[in-house]
Amino acid sequence: MASTPSGTHGGMADFNIHHGFIEALIRGMRSSFLADSDYHHITQCETLEDVKLNMSETDYADAVSDLTVLTPSGLQSAAINKLVTEFKYVRTQAVEPLATFLDFITYEYMIENIMLLLKGALSGRDINELLAQCHPLGMFKESTMRSIPTFEANAKGFADLYQTVLVDTPVGPYFAMFLQESSNAMGGEVRNVIEEVEIEIIKSSLIKYWIEDFYQYVQKLGGETAEIMGDILMVRADTNAINITLNSFGTPLNEPVMRTSDRKRLYPAVGHLYPAGTHMLADVSTEEELGKVLDLFPQYTSIWSVHAAEAEMSIDDAFYERDVQALELAFESQMHFGCFYAYVKLKEQEIRNLVWITECILQAQKDEINKFVPVFSSHAPWRSSTKAR
Amino acid sequence: MSEVPPTRMNQQVFKGKKKAAESGHKLLKKKADALKVKFRDYAKMIAETKGSMSSDATTAFFSLTQAEYAAGNFKQKVAEGTLTARVRVGAGIDNVAGVKLPVFTPYETGSIADNQSLGLVGGGKKIVSVRDKFTVFLHQLIKLASLQTSFVTLDEAMKVTNRRVNALENVTIPKIQNILDYIDRELDELEREDFTRLKLVQGKKEDVEADKENTNANGKDTDITADFDAQDDADVVF
Repeated sequence: MASTPSGTHGGMADFNIHHGFIEALIRGMRSSFLADSDYHHITQCETLEDVKLNMSETDYADAVSDLTVLTPSGLQSAAINKLVTEFKYVRTQAVEPLATFLDFITYEYMIENIMLLLKGALSGRDINELLAQCHPLGMFKESTMRSIPTFEANAKGFADLYQTVLVDTPVGPYFAMFLQESSNAMGGEVRNVIEEVEIEIIKSSLIKYWIEDFYQYVQKLGGETAEIMGDILMVRADTNAINITLNSFGTPLNEPVMRTSDRKRLYPAVGHLYPAGTHMLADVSTEEELGKVLDLFPQYTSIWSVHAAEAEMSIDDAFYERDVQALELAFESQMHFGCFYAYVKLKEQEIRNLVWITECILQAQKDEINKFVPVFSSHAPWRSSTKAR
Repeated sequence: MSEVPPTRMNQQVFKGKKKAAESGHKLLKKKADALKVKFRDYAKMIAETKGSMSSDATTAFFSLTQAEYAAGNFKQKVAEGTLTARVRVGAGIDNVAGVKLPVFTPYETGSIADNQSLGLVGGGKKIVSVRDKFTVFLHQLIKLASLQTSFVTLDEAMKVTNRRVNALENVTIPKIQNILDYIDRELDELEREDFTRLKLVQGKKEDVEADKENTNANGKDTDITADFDAQDDADVVF
C-alpha cells in the first residue's frame, strides 16, 4: 500500500507548525473562486467574446488572455492547467504527512490516465495523441507513460507491462489487487482480464480500491481530518455505489449472474451504505427496488426523490449539489487536510460550470444556462433557506 | 432529302418510321411526367427532412453537452476504444418509371456497443440519452443522404428524357414528315407525268385510228395486190 505517514498531523496546538503556511495559501486561493456576480455577468453574455471580456476581470485573467478565441474546450484546458499549476505549487511546499495526502488526491487522475493509455494501446492509437489527452494532474514520469503503449498486446506483454511499469507507479498496488481478484473470479490470464472487462469496470474497481485506501490513510491520520475527510469519502463511495447500480440497469452488468460476481465487487467497502446497504444493492435489479433500499438511508432519500420526480434536475445534479455542500463545509473548520481535497474538487466543479455556460452560449440554449451548481454561492439552497437539506 | 428515292416502298418504310417515332414520343412523354411527379415528391420530402434535421442536430449536440457536464469528458474514451459500427448503411436500388435510383437503408449490425458501461460512475442516464438522440439524428441523416442522391439521379434522368422528347418532337418527327411529304409530292408528280404521257399516247393512238378509218373508208377499190410486191420474197432455189 502507500507509505505510512510519519505520525499524525497534530491538532489545534501543533498543526500550524508544519502546515500553517500551506493552509493559509489554500485559504487565499479559496477567494479566487468565481462569485455570484461573476456568474451573473457571464450568463448574461451573448457571445463568447463577451465571456472572455468578463473572465479577464476574474482570477482567470491570465489563463484567458492566452486564448485568442475562446472555445469551451480551450477554456477547459486553460482552467485545468491553472488548477494544476496551483496544485503543484502547494505540493512543493508540503511536508509529510500532507505530501502523501496530496498525492492521494492525484491517484484518482493517474488511474484514469493509465486506463486511457492501456485502452488506447489495445486499439493501436498513436502514443502522442494519447499523452495529449491525459489529465495533467495524473501524470507520472514521461518515460513511464511512453513505455506503456510500447508493450506488446499479448499475455506476456501485459504481464511484463505490469511487472516493470505499473508496479512502480503509486497505483500499481490497486492494479495488483484488481487482477488478483479478477483472475480468481474468472480464472483467466492478465490479458484476458483487460480485454474482456470493459474499461469503465476496471476503472471503477481501481477507484474503489483507491477510495478504500484513502479512507484508511485518513483514519490513520486521526483528528479532524479523519472526521471530515472520512465523511467526504464515505459520501463519495456511496455516490459511486448508487450510480453504479442505477446505471447498470439495461447493461449486461444487471444480469443476476453478473450482479453478485461483478457488480458487487464494484461497491467500495466504506460508506454509510456499507455493509448492509451494499449487500442489499447487490440484489437490486430495477429502479423501484433501488428506491426501496435507499428509503432505509435517510440522507439519500432526498436525492432519490429528485431522481424519481424526474423534473428539471437529474440525479447527477442532485449528487453534485450534495458534494458541493459537503466540500464547502470542509472550509469551515481549521487544522485539518480536508480543505485541500475540497479545493481541488470545488475547482473542478467550477471548471465544469464554466464549460457548461460557454457551451450553452455557443449553442444558443439560453434557458438551460442556469443549470449549474455555483461554488460558495450565497444563493445556495442550503444557505438561504432555513430548511436543512 | 435528295438521297431518298421516292418509291412506294420507301413511302411505306417511312410511314412505319413515323408511327414508331410517334408512339415512342408518347411513351417518353409519359415517362417524363412520371419522373416529374416523383421529382416534386422528393423535393418536398427533402425540405421536410432538412427542417427537422436542424432541430434534431441541436437537441443531439446539447444532450452531449449535458452528458459531458454529468460524466466528464468521455469523448476520448469512446474515440480510443475499439470502433465497430453498430449501424451500417446498405445501398439498394429503387426502380422508378424505369430509372434506377440509389437508396440507402440503415441496418443494425447487432454488434453491441463497446461502451455500454460508459457512465457507470455518474451520468449514465445522460450518456444513454446522447446515444438515443444521436441515433435518431443518424437515421435522419441517412434518410436525407438517400433522398438527395436519388434526387440528383432523378434530375439527370429527367433531363435526358426531356431532351429525347424534345428531340423527337422538334427534329426527328418533322424530318420524317418532310421526307414523307417529299415522297408524296414526287409520287404525285410521277403519276401526273404518267397520266399526261398516257393521255398523249392515247391521243396519238386515236389520231392513228382516225387516219386508218379515213383511208379505209376512202380506198375500198384499191387493189389489194397493190400491196404485194414480188420483189419482197427471196428466190426459191431447188
